[in-house]
Amino acid sequence: MIKNLIVDAAYFLQTSKRYQARKRFFFNLLENDKFRYKKYIDILMITLIFISVAVLIREVKYHVNDYLLFFSSYIISIIFFIEYVLRLWVSSSVSEIIVKRTEHDTFLSKKTNLLKAFGSILRAKLRYILSVRAIIDLLAILPFFHELRLLRIFILFRVFKLFRYAKSFQTLAGVLSTKKFEFLTLSMFASIVIFVSSVLIYVMEANNPESPINTLFEAVYWSIVTISTVGYGDVTPITSEGRVVAMLVITAGIAVLAFTTSLVVSAFTERLDEIKEVKTIEDISKLKNLYLVCGYESVAKEVVNKLLKNNNRLIVLDDDEKRVLNAKKDGLIALHYDPGSVDSYAKLNIDIKSQVKAILCLREDDVSNVYTALTVRSIDKEVFILSLLMSNSNRKKLQFAGINNLVYPQELVGLITKEFIGKPVAFEVIHQLRSEDTNVNMDEIAVTKRIVDNFATVGELGNKDFRVIVLGLYKSSHDRFYFNPIDSTILEVGDYILAIGYKVFVKEFELHLHTKVLDE
Amino acid sequence: MNNKTALIFGFNQYSFEIIQNVTDKYSIVKFYSQNVENLKNDKYDIDFFDLSDDWSSVEKNIDIEKSIAFCVLSDNAQNIFLTISLRAHFPNLTIIAIASNSENANKLSMAGANKVIPVVETTADIITNILELPISNKVLHGILFEENDLKIAQIKIGENCTIKDEEILNIEWSRYNGIIVLSLMHKDMKSEFIYSSKVKHHILQSGDTLVVVGYENDIQEFKKLIGSES
Repeated sequence: MIKNLIVDAAYFLQTSKRYQARKRFFFNLLENDKFRYKKYIDILMITLIFISVAVLIREVKYHVNDYLLFFSSYIISIIFFIEYVLRLWVSSSVSEIIVKRTEHDTFLSKKTNLLKAFGSILRAKLRYILSVRAIIDLLAILPFFHELRLLRIFILFRVFKLFRYAKSFQTLAGVLSTKKFEFLTLSMFASIVIFVSSVLIYVMEANNPESPINTLFEAVYWSIVTISTVGYGDVTPITSEGRVVAMLVITAGIAVLAFTTSLVVSAFTERLDEIKEVKTIEDISKLKNLYLVCGYESVAKEVVNKLLKNNNRLIVLDDDEKRVLNAKKDGLIALHYDPGSVDSYAKLNIDIKSQVKAILCLREDDVSNVYTALTVRSIDKEVFILSLLMSNSNRKKLQFAGINNLVYPQELVGLITKEFIGKPVAFEVIHQLRSEDTNVNMDEIAVTKRIVDNFATVGELGNKDFRVIVLGLYKSSHDRFYFNPIDSTILEVGDYILAIGYKVFVKEFELHLHTKVLDE
Repeated sequence: MNNKTALIFGFNQYSFEIIQNVTDKYSIVKFYSQNVENLKNDKYDIDFFDLSDDWSSVEKNIDIEKSIAFCVLSDNAQNIFLTISLRAHFPNLTIIAIASNSENANKLSMAGANKVIPVVETTADIITNILELPISNKVLHGILFEENDLKIAQIKIGENCTIKDEEILNIEWSRYNGIIVLSLMHKDMKSEFIYSSKVKHHILQSGDTLVVVGYENDIQEFKKLIGSES
């Protein structure tokens, strides 16, 4: 009976959209760095930690306001307790474990063994409780019992909680942990030296009434101060034997210090690229409306320059280290990832649908471009893909790979030649309109509600006053371009005006369209 | 000797595309390759050439004044050398050359090419247009390269043109019989945008060329109305 109730409750929670949504919300709030509200929680927690430490410091010599003391001891502790419980809750799913166990036993035609499920739950929760982070969290709650003076010092454990909220601390710990074995060896060596030298100095000095080293504790203190090369000078050996020991410890101290420094430096040097990459990926995850440029060769370089001039955001992926280095030298966000591998996009932690405007396959190699296009299509069916085509015989393959737009340079040269030998002047005019580097250009002005409210028809636009030609109007509703529309053509929201003129005048014209308000 | 000839130097994808696009304008197309292997090609009639200064066979068989040369060698340095060599021998020959980048484009211009197509820049321009201005790109592409009704045309002002001797500022261009005048090229200047300050006080003379966009019928109608010869 109870067993059935537990299983039913587990199924209910597992299938309840509301419960799962709430749990997901709290998980994101506490653990997901990409969640927009997490940073606010982090800032709140960091503030609370600093308030408690400030109260602890103030309390040493001065009286602290009772309300502040109450806030530091109780309110902050309660907040941390709630956080601890929430983290424990989201760390694993009790209902999921029960459901899985039930389904497993049903599949094997056995009776549901809830004891095994409870065992799994206990193990999962204990795994979390016994993790270093959870222990620090728990200790940070202890100042709640601040009446016990000893427990007050646990406020300092709250400072350790900063590790959880500040990414750089985690990076530091991560870097140093790669040299775990070396640090262990070093600490073993240092411990042996400290132990031997402490005993030796105690034996040599303790019986001398003039020596400041009278106890084993003083001997250990002297050894640590000396081996660390700090050398306060408050405790010094006075016997010749003691000084010989001191010389040995000083020599060992230099070795320990040099070894420690080189370990930290080499740990950072080895992982510097990785740290930079992690930071880059973090930055990328915050970008929206970006172009993903796959391959960084001559055409890609030019395209990137032109896109950057229009204030676009873009990242470059290339599997060739030299080209990635070139892109970085050009000041771009570039990663040495293979654009033809699904794994690259997973590592990039990028949501193509919501973050990427278009993917540009600009390798000057059709095989690579097909491979990249197919990889992207396997992740997202909708995103706009543009690719270079290097050999016309591969056109169908690239189209089949799901590329939306192909640019074939050789064909362009052919078409340009045709136009140039037929109508050289006209060709130059159009070429100038297309080129980013000339003063006269063509712009697309999106018709907004504001424009429609101010200008009902094409005739009212007043483009001639701005020395701007309206080449035509693209009607989204009909998906058709109307060349040189008559004055009475009605403007609708979503239309595009194709305006030609000097950049400055077109800008002014656009400004006029957006700012003019009809006189009452 | 009166036939218009297109000389294409280089055996690659660029030259194949050029051949396809020039055959209707040039009655004779001559294909040249430096590689003897290419001469055996079944599809094209190819002649051998090298970069020595012997252009006698070319000189003998074609009318240089009416001919056009395309320098599309894959090797940039050789392409520049070919251009300078052609220009040195044939001062009146129209030379079109392709360049892989702007640096080579400058060198080819200095070597005497009449028109240089910087492939990388042009491709990048097209890609940027497709991404940033998809509608205008489609419209311009349609006007330039596709067989649709909307055309771009060059209209030469002749002696008998009705708008000859008129100041550009005083002519109502933008709504003239359904056509749009984009720019003007007159004898001494490069083509200028119709609203530029250099052009607005210009008085139309015989020999000036107008660049107009419009539907085929409207352009013909406009030509008739102003009495243009072209």
